[in-house]
Amino acid sequence: MTGAPPEDPPGPVPAAAVHALRGVSKNFGGVRALVDVDLDVHDHEVLAVVGDNGAGKSTLAGVIAGAYRPDAGRLLLDGAPVVLGSPGEARTRGIAAVFQDLALCDNLDVVENLFLGHESTRGALLDEVTMERQAWELLGQLGATVPSVRQPVRTLSGGQRQVVAVARALLGSPRVVVFDEPTASLGIRQTAEVLNLVERLRERGHAVVLISHQATDLQAVADRFVVLRLGRVGGEFDARAVGYEDLLAAMTGAALPTDRKSSR
Amino acid sequence: MSAVQQRGSLTQIELAGVTGLSPATVSNIVKELTSAGVLHTSPSTRSGRRALQVTLARNLGLVAGVHFGTRSLRVALADASMQVLADQRMPLAPDHRADTGLRRAALLVAEMVESLDARPEELLAVGVGVPAPVDVRSGRIATVGMLRGWDGVAVTDVLAEELGTPVTVDNDANLGALAETRFGAAAGHDAVAYLRVSHGVGGGLVLGGRLVHGRAGVAGEIGHVTIDENGPICRCGNRGCLETFVGAPVLLGMLASSHGHLTLRDVIARAQEGDAGCRRVLFDAGQHLGVAAANLCNLVDPEIVVVGGQLAEAGEILLGPMRTVVEQRTVPSTAGPVEVVASRLGAAAEVRGALAVALDTAGVSGSLGVTV
Ligand SMILES: [Zn+2]
Repeated sequence: MTGAPPEDPPGPVPAAAVHALRGVSKNFGGVRALVDVDLDVHDHEVLAVVGDNGAGKSTLAGVIAGAYRPDAGRLLLDGAPVVLGSPGEARTRGIAAVFQDLALCDNLDVVENLFLGHESTRGALLDEVTMERQAWELLGQLGATVPSVRQPVRTLSGGQRQVVAVARALLGSPRVVVFDEPTASLGIRQTAEVLNLVERLRERGHAVVLISHQATDLQAVADRFVVLRLGRVGGEFDARAVGYEDLLAAMTGAALPTDRKSSR
Repeated sequence: MSAVQQRGSLTQIELAGVTGLSPATVSNIVKELTSAGVLHTSPSTRSGRRALQVTLARNLGLVAGVHFGTRSLRVALADASMQVLADQRMPLAPDHRADTGLRRAALLVAEMVESLDARPEELLAVGVGVPAPVDVRSGRIATVGMLRGWDGVAVTDVLAEELGTPVTVDNDANLGALAETRFGAAAGHDAVAYLRVSHGVGGGLVLGGRLVHGRAGVAGEIGHVTIDENGPICRCGNRGCLETFVGAPVLLGMLASSHGHLTLRDVIARAQEGDAGCRRVLFDAGQHLGVAAANLCNLVDPEIVVVGGQLAEAGEILLGPMRTVVEQRTVPSTAGPVEVVASRLGAAAEVRGALAVALDTAGVSGSLGVTV
C-alpha cells in the first residue's frame, strides 16, 4: 500500500473513538506480528493491551504511534483515514508515545531533555526562562517530585526519568498517549508513581494506551482490556468486570471468550 | 509522654493544660526526658510569647501507616513525633485481593524506609486500615462479602511476618475518626461521629477518646443502616442500606445515561461548576446521609459529626442538605443542633489514623524505650 488512504469507506467507528485500527496486519520477514487487528481508543479512557511475549504488543504500540506502517488495514483519526509515516508525523496529529528505552539524553538536564527537538517544530526558539517555567508547570501537573529541572537526568531515579519522558511526550498536548512497558524494571515506589501518572492523564481527558505484561499494574488503572494472543485480538473486557484468571485464559488461549464484554 | 505522643507536638504550657500538672512540674519532667533522649524541645512562639515546643525525639524510630481503599493503597511513614516523612499513593485493581495488596503494601513500606536512609529495624510498628469491619483483637477481617478477596484474612499475621514488626489493623473509617479527633476537625470534642463517604460508606465513633469497636468490629457501620425497608439489595445482603443510596457506584449510575462515564471527582467538579444533574445527585446524597446521621445522633448525641471520604470534597453542596435533615430529624436540644463539618485531614485522615495506632502500638510494646 502506498501513502494514499484506501478507497473503501471507513467501517463503523463509535463517534467517541479518537484513534481506531481496522483490520491491521503487520509482518516482519514472514513472521505475522499482527493479524487483522481492530482497536478503538477513546478520550478519557485507559485502554490496556496485555499479552505474552511475542503476542504483538510492541508492534501494536508502534503502529498506533506511527513507528510502523501496517501492511494491511486502516488507521482512522476521529473517523477519518490517515497514514502515519513516522512518530514525528503521529506527534503532529496528537499521538505521543513513551517507549521502553526512554530515549532521554543522560548528560542533558531536565529542561534540555524536555525541549530537545521541540524548538524547531515550534518555529521559534523559546528563551531559557520560558522553557524552565513550562518545565515546572508540566512536571507540577504530573505531580512529579523532581528536585531540580537543571539536574542531569542521569542523576534521577527510574520513576523520575519516566515522568520526564512523559512530560516530553505531553508537550504540544497530545490527545493519545501510548506507553510501552512503563513499569518494567521499576521498583514498587516508582511503579506507584507511573500508575498515579496514568490516572492523572486520564483525569485530564487524554486517551491512554498502556501496553504491558504486568497484569496487576494494568488492572490498577485500566478502564478496558484488549488481550493480544499470537498477533490477534484474543478478547476485549470491561476492566471493572474482568478477573485476573479471565485475562490469563485469554492470554494463553485456555478458553477464548465467546461474548466480548465490551464496555461501550 | 502519652500526651506528647498523641498530639505529636505541643508547647510546655499546652502540656501543662492537657496533663493538669503545674507548669513547673511539666518543665522538670520535660527536662529529665530530654536529657534521657526521649523528648526533643525547640523554641517557638505562641500568641507572640516565647514557648518551648515539645516533641518525641526523632531517633526513637519510625512507624508506618497503611490505608487500603477500594481502588487505592496509601502508605505513610512518620517519626515518633507524628511528623510525616514520606507519603505514597498507589492505584489498586477493582476487587483487589488480599495477597497481592498486602504484598504491594509490604514492598512499599520497605522501599520507603530505605528511601529515608533508615534501617529496617528502625520501623517500630505498622498500623493498617481496611474498608471492612475488623476484629481488632485477632486482626482479621470480620465479615464475609464486604471486601471481596479479603474475607477472613488475618491481615496482622501476614504483614507482621513480611515486615517483622508489630501490626495493628482496624476499619479505615475508625482510623479516620481517630485522626480527626486527635489532629483534625474534631480536636477537643467528645463524643465524635465520623462518616467516611467514598466508594462505600463507613463510620467511626470516638467516645472518651477511645474508638468504639463493639463485639466484633462492626460498630459504626453507618453505611448499612436501613434507609428504605423495601430498597435495593446491598452487598452486605441487607435491603435499602444507606450505601445503596449514596455509594459511588450508585451516584455514578444515576448519571450514566445523561452524563456518560464519570468518576466521583468528575461529579464533584461539575457540581461545583454548576451542572444541575451533578448538583442534584449530591443534594439527594446529602439528604440521605442526613437521615442516617440523625438516627446516629439520637442514639449517641455526639458533639460533632465529621464527614470525610472523597464525597466530602463537594463541601456545602453535600453538607448543606445533610445539616438541614440532621437538624429536622434529631431531638431538639437546648445545646442547639449538632455541628456537621467536613473533614480537616481530607484524603489523609485514614492514613494519619493508621500512623496514630502504629505509634500507640509502639508505645505499648515498649519499642519507644518507655511505656506510655
Ligand atoms: Zn448494606
